[in-house]
Amino acid sequence: MKKVDVENLKKIVGSENATDNPVDLYAYSGDASVHQAMPNVVVRPKTIEQVQKIMRYANKNRIPVIPRGAGTGTSGHAVPIDGGIVMDMKQMNHILEIKPGDVLVRVEPGVVDDDLNRALLPYGFFYPPAPASSRIATIGGEIAANASGVRSVKYGATRDYILGLKVVLADGSLVNLGANTRVHSSGYQLERLIVGSEGTLGIVVEATIRIYPLPKFRCLGVANFNKLEDAGNAISEIITSGCQPSMLELMDGIGIVAVNKALDLGLKEVGAIILFEADGNVKEAVDFEINKMKEICKAHNGFGIELSYDAEERKRIFSGRKKLFAALSRYKEGIICTDLADDMGVPNSKIAEAAAKIHEIAKRNNVIMAVYGHCGSGVIHTKIMLDPKKKDQWKDADKVIEELYDYIHSVGGVTSAEHGIGLSKAPPWKKARADIIPMMRAIKKALDPNNILNPHKLMDAPDDWVKATDLRYRVVK
Amino acid sequence: MVKKVDFKRSKKWENELDKCIRCGYCYELCPLFKSYSWESDTPRGKLLMVHGMITGKIAPTQEVVDKIFQCFYCKNCSDNCSAGVPVTDILTDARADLINAGFEVQGTIVQIDEDLCSVCGVCVPLCKYDALKIVDKGKDKKKIEVDKVECRGCGLCLAACPSGAISQKEGCNVTLPELHESVKEILKKDDKKLLVFACNYSIFPGMQLSETETLVKTPYGIIVTMCSGRVAPELILDAFESGAWGVMVAGCPPEECDHDGNYKTRRRLILLKNILKELNINPKRLKLDWFSTGESAKLQQEINKFVKELENMGPIEAYVKR
Repeated sequence: MKKVDVENLKKIVGSENATDNPVDLYAYSGDASVHQAMPNVVVRPKTIEQVQKIMRYANKNRIPVIPRGAGTGTSGHAVPIDGGIVMDMKQMNHILEIKPGDVLVRVEPGVVDDDLNRALLPYGFFYPPAPASSRIATIGGEIAANASGVRSVKYGATRDYILGLKVVLADGSLVNLGANTRVHSSGYQLERLIVGSEGTLGIVVEATIRIYPLPKFRCLGVANFNKLEDAGNAISEIITSGCQPSMLELMDGIGIVAVNKALDLGLKEVGAIILFEADGNVKEAVDFEINKMKEICKAHNGFGIELSYDAEERKRIFSGRKKLFAALSRYKEGIICTDLADDMGVPNSKIAEAAAKIHEIAKRNNVIMAVYGHCGSGVIHTKIMLDPKKKDQWKDADKVIEELYDYIHSVGGVTSAEHGIGLSKAPPWKKARADIIPMMRAIKKALDPNNILNPHKLMDAPDDWVKATDLRYRVVK
Repeated sequence: MVKKVDFKRSKKWENELDKCIRCGYCYELCPLFKSYSWESDTPRGKLLMVHGMITGKIAPTQEVVDKIFQCFYCKNCSDNCSAGVPVTDILTDARADLINAGFEVQGTIVQIDEDLCSVCGVCVPLCKYDALKIVDKGKDKKKIEVDKVECRGCGLCLAACPSGAISQKEGCNVTLPELHESVKEILKKDDKKLLVFACNYSIFPGMQLSETETLVKTPYGIIVTMCSGRVAPELILDAFESGAWGVMVAGCPPEECDHDGNYKTRRRLILLKNILKELNINPKRLKLDWFSTGESAKLQQEINKFVKELENMGPIEAYVKR
């Protein structure tokens, strides 16, 4: 990229919204993944027209464009592996319209998830797919990753809520995808294709989103287990029992120790904890659901079970889970938490088996892995905890990833359930899904023939994730 | 310009910097990010810079220094970091190393205009961090010197300086001229009846929205002033003159303020209430209330209650006529 390109981009967004200052570029060189690579320029468009102009310019000059929301991606989606333009979408952060009568909202992509939910509260509605990072995650980023969260077990993922999208394509043209209605059978559902495309097919500049009436009652339960296996089996049985939990979370002993160390929560240090929630508009129905789940936990040796309808108490019980991801860094001195192998999906019947397998593979390869997540919907979160300064630890991590995903795929699981593939999950995913890669490449080529939109991610990511970019740590020995 | 820096204080933090998982939970709470909204203004962005400097990935340039010295030490980032990374302690050590290397620094550090300063010394005991000292300037002359490592940018000295000699770089909407502008801006729109000056340190994060407009109109507006000790009396008078029916100052409970700014606020507001009487303004239109961290629900309740009281009182006719 040349200096003149930066000047031309400044003309589009204004010099106050574009920077090639090395300090800013360095700050935009990473997200929450282990990867790091410098962009050439960062731009902050405020309007659809500005996004179109940037894309026209980038397409003509063959400059990579990497759209970025809050930079909370765990697999390197927003890391500019080929340099180019990082397009920070946080300035497009207006809620354009709230239409309770049509049960939808129209938002710009930079709107923060929690802000949307706060704005919906007075109308008695909510937007359910909130990931744990909802206090900063933007709707645009959630669309790019098809994000989901603790309520996915009942309410589904982002894709289930996107009715329509306005998307700027690689050549700068603007397309209106989808509809305002809950269902449509009018041609390809291209809005669904964009969800989860990780910024490789177009830039989302507006979303029409289905919203959901807030339930009148929510009851949260917590159960302790001495054995992780028992907790896994309890989750599998709750799902097949006919219960409809609005949350069903697992946290293993490693996670419990970490949150206690980081946040001093005083949780009982047992083998595992399950958090289970029921919601609805009829209290008796919620009581029925929550008690049924409680009985299943008991039948699987769950103990110390607490239930609460109180919002503050629920918040307290849930706070450890909400902050677990970062707290894992505190598990042990000398090791840190890395975002690797972080969100596999497994069939419901395999939760206990997969949890045990993860611990076994980690132990054999000299790393520590916590097992937690929205196991009710089959999402198992793990993190690889290692000493980042040791070269061998990155080799260990690589071995863990290979072994672990071979196992996950062998039992019918998926590489990523809610964070996306990006860079660090690309090697195992490409190995498992070699059959669909030609089709994905054909779609990419049709929509982005010059390969400028978030290039070398997903199916085009390097085969060696460790060497794909610089690691953001100093590896010395 | 790049200077040679001995990062002897910062280097000990490398392991802590590695523990930052860059989740970004810190930055929605950061007033600097609210003002500038670049990634380089976020706490995690600054940690990345410190890491980059001590590992040799980026050069310590004046641009990096400018960013590192922008922090109000509200500690919302450190206090809310789930990985327990002591963000502000790390920044303090980085600041010390950069100052030792001879960088010119400004950021959120207070500046003293020696031409305006009478060296009355009012500011010196106000600073809880001993960042202000009277020193010899030569030939029996004295001046106030700012310790640029210790200055937390809380701005208490700014609000107390009788000659207006202390200033801070504008851009974060907390200097006096900017606050006056915000008062007028907020009271101009949506028929706001109540203006709330909220302390960033304890209160605001809990009820903070991003820049997103919620489409919900409220009869009150909130201005974040960092410490409540920054609320100079003229700001409150300005609010009444601009049409506010009432003003609330929301600060930390007496024993909880990091800067002891709330004691000053309390004294100041008692005096101001007497002046309001002289101006024929019911002193009940000015309210000071204390809220601990996380008491956003209580703050909301008190705001709603006060709005009702103000609706019963109506607008300030006497003052308007005057």
